[in-house]
Amino acid sequence: MAGKPLAGIRIVDLGWVWSGPYACMMLAHLGADVIRVESSLRPCLLRILPPWPGGVPGSASAGGGTFTNNNLGKRSISLDLKTPDGLEVARRLIASSEAVVNNYAAGVIERLGLGYKNLRKLKDDIILVCLSGMGDTGPYREFVAYGQGQAAMSGFTRFTGVPGRPPKTAGFVLADPVAGAHGAFAVLAALRHKRKTGQGQFVDMSQWEATLQMVGDAVVGYQLSGLEPQAMGNRHPQMSPHGLFRCKDAEGEPGKLLDAWVSIAVADDSQWCRLCEAMDARALASDKRFGTLQARKSNETELEAIIGAWTRQKSARAVTERLQGLGIATFPSSTHLDVFEDSNLRERDFFAELTHPAHGRHAYPGVPWRMNDTVVSVDRPAPTLGQHTEEVLDELGYSRGEIERLHSVGALK
Amino acid sequence: MTSALAGIRVLEIGEMITAPYAAKMLGDMGAEVIKLERPQAGDRARHMGPFPTEEVDPERSGLFLYLNTNKQGITLDLASDKGREILGGLLKRVDVVLHNIHPPEMDRIGLTYAAVRMINPSVVMTSISPFGLHGPYRNYVAEDLTTWNAGGAGYTNGAGDGDPDMPPLRPFGSPSSYAGGAHAAIATMGAIIGRDMSGEGQHVEVAVQAVVAAMAGNIMAWPYTGKVQTRLVHNLTQPLEAMEAKGGWIWIQALEEHQWQKFVELMGSPAWATKPEYSNKIERTANWAQLRPLVWEWVSRQDVLDLCLRAQASRVPFAPLSTMKTLLESPHLDERQFFVALDHPVAGQLKYPGALAKFPACPWNAHDAAPTLGQHNETVYRDLLKLSSNEIAGLRRAGVI
Repeated sequence: MAGKPLAGIRIVDLGWVWSGPYACMMLAHLGADVIRVESSLRPCLLRILPPWPGGVPGSASAGGGTFTNNNLGKRSISLDLKTPDGLEVARRLIASSEAVVNNYAAGVIERLGLGYKNLRKLKDDIILVCLSGMGDTGPYREFVAYGQGQAAMSGFTRFTGVPGRPPKTAGFVLADPVAGAHGAFAVLAALRHKRKTGQGQFVDMSQWEATLQMVGDAVVGYQLSGLEPQAMGNRHPQMSPHGLFRCKDAEGEPGKLLDAWVSIAVADDSQWCRLCEAMDARALASDKRFGTLQARKSNETELEAIIGAWTRQKSARAVTERLQGLGIATFPSSTHLDVFEDSNLRERDFFAELTHPAHGRHAYPGVPWRMNDTVVSVDRPAPTLGQHTEEVLDELGYSRGEIERLHSVGALK
Repeated sequence: MTSALAGIRVLEIGEMITAPYAAKMLGDMGAEVIKLERPQAGDRARHMGPFPTEEVDPERSGLFLYLNTNKQGITLDLASDKGREILGGLLKRVDVVLHNIHPPEMDRIGLTYAAVRMINPSVVMTSISPFGLHGPYRNYVAEDLTTWNAGGAGYTNGAGDGDPDMPPLRPFGSPSSYAGGAHAAIATMGAIIGRDMSGEGQHVEVAVQAVVAAMAGNIMAWPYTGKVQTRLVHNLTQPLEAMEAKGGWIWIQALEEHQWQKFVELMGSPAWATKPEYSNKIERTANWAQLRPLVWEWVSRQDVLDLCLRAQASRVPFAPLSTMKTLLESPHLDERQFFVALDHPVAGQLKYPGALAKFPACPWNAHDAAPTLGQHNETVYRDLLKLSSNEIAGLRRAGVI
């Protein structure tokens, strides 16, 4: 077993909320020593949001569940960057690092005195990746950008939803982790370039442009056809049936029944015939209303009613086993409970059982890939705010006395 | 100026989105990508569109054209012995193999990591599949809808109507497949960096189901609280929704007190805004059913872009709901020269989404439109595998390429 590919590479995570921290978590998953720089004077928004263990709101220092889930494998140092001493610690930390990642609004990093020009003076080959909402140039540079606004600007929201009803946002805030994943890729590309050439660089990245990568097919398709996409609920232009169908209710929280749904996507006519067979409705397979994709699209409401009547009598799991046995893309619409109990994810050791200093032991979604010859693991839970301040200062060569002085002047808040 | 992935040759055996997107990300950063497709039909994405008309046109599919820029296209029949022999020759000459062949199909054609490693011990092989190569669901088939729901992203979506007959709602596009590709690109880059140091290859294996679960930011509610979130619970802080303005839809978001106050000013400080039932975000959320039509009525009279700019000038995070047309016409994206124009021999000149980031030292680069089916058979088989013109003609006659 080889060590992790980014072992020994220090990344300074000046992240805020989700996209930047998610990018740095991916780098931690690859073995980087990620140090999140925070301040108790203005804790990350995710630290104060639910969910909390037992439903009881905890402290920002401990951090709520969206924070602990998106900061696995990192250390945390608490610094007030607005004090000269706090800023000096950050500078020393950066001088010991390969890359700095932030997702502040454009211009903020310069105002903090940590712009690329200044960082280069500390370390000539430093990599600075700025993952701002709109990027470092352009008329919307100053836009305040949240994930849902990004999903809207990227075209996702306009075409999500049911015809005749207002557009809907894409559920959990899709744009943030997607932009974060592209941010992690950008850091890796810049790191490899630096390994090969010794050159660092300032990488200007826009969350909007990163999210737009996911609608490229529609951008190109619009130019070909002259037609905008259509919101069509769960339907699909090239597949039918393609949707979610109600099944027998299932137990969620103990003693409480929840509505259960199964996703079914039929890609071609032969799959449609097999679905008819599974429903014990062979006559349907030769029914002209449903014989071709075009026919099924024209009669989709009827088609969905027939399938829904069949699935309603069965559990989502039973429908899945039956249809997957016939090679039809089917899976229950998993609740979060289902995900944590999913036998496939469990057998893949996807979940990391971690003991958080404030929250105790829980399973967390872990690394979504496996490597045959490299350790893939989450080595530590998300840090409490400033949990590793003294440890990191010690590694940077600060003496006991200096650390005490920094505490006393308020640089480590 | 060099590329981040100069000198890396990638063999992509990819269909639809996950592997082609990951290979595109590597190609856009300078890797040389050879894309292998089945003879005749080619990548299934060629049959998905959008097309210029209702007719399926494999050389004019928006999905295929977008995902396969910067690639050389070859065809090869991996079901034939001769095809597998040629594959062996290709595998010897590449640094990375990136594929999303369905796991049972991998078994059938013998494209396992053990076999690939025998041919090329230093190769990085990345296998992307819906549920991974190990585990009880390895043979399950999936579309984007399937992995999105299997990773726990589907069930909570579609909230707000409180209508139990409305199913969980999928988002537009193919988000779980793109995300699967992007995470595969991350892991592959990690393996390439590891190989730079050790000289050793690696098998990277990505399950799209796990990628979706890793991105589900609110998923800790279950282990922390034992509560199952559903789309029916309507407790989102308001205002937070899309509304229709003049010229398009706008995302209305003013959750923080200072944002709401600025929004009220924008609306001309109407008398109703001073009512106690709208005095703070808890009240506004609780009384949203009454407040919503008041806000809608005002928003519906505003021009979408103008309102968005005025709100942003006050640090209120409104955003237009882009359409493809408004994206292509965006002055911001234009000033950043985001879209790049590429000429395709059949589809003509089209604009493609550009750099995922601006790298001054090792630029993201789009140089070639997607290949037509088998466009680079001659070049790759002749120049890389050193096959003679006669041999290539023979392969073509036998339907191997």
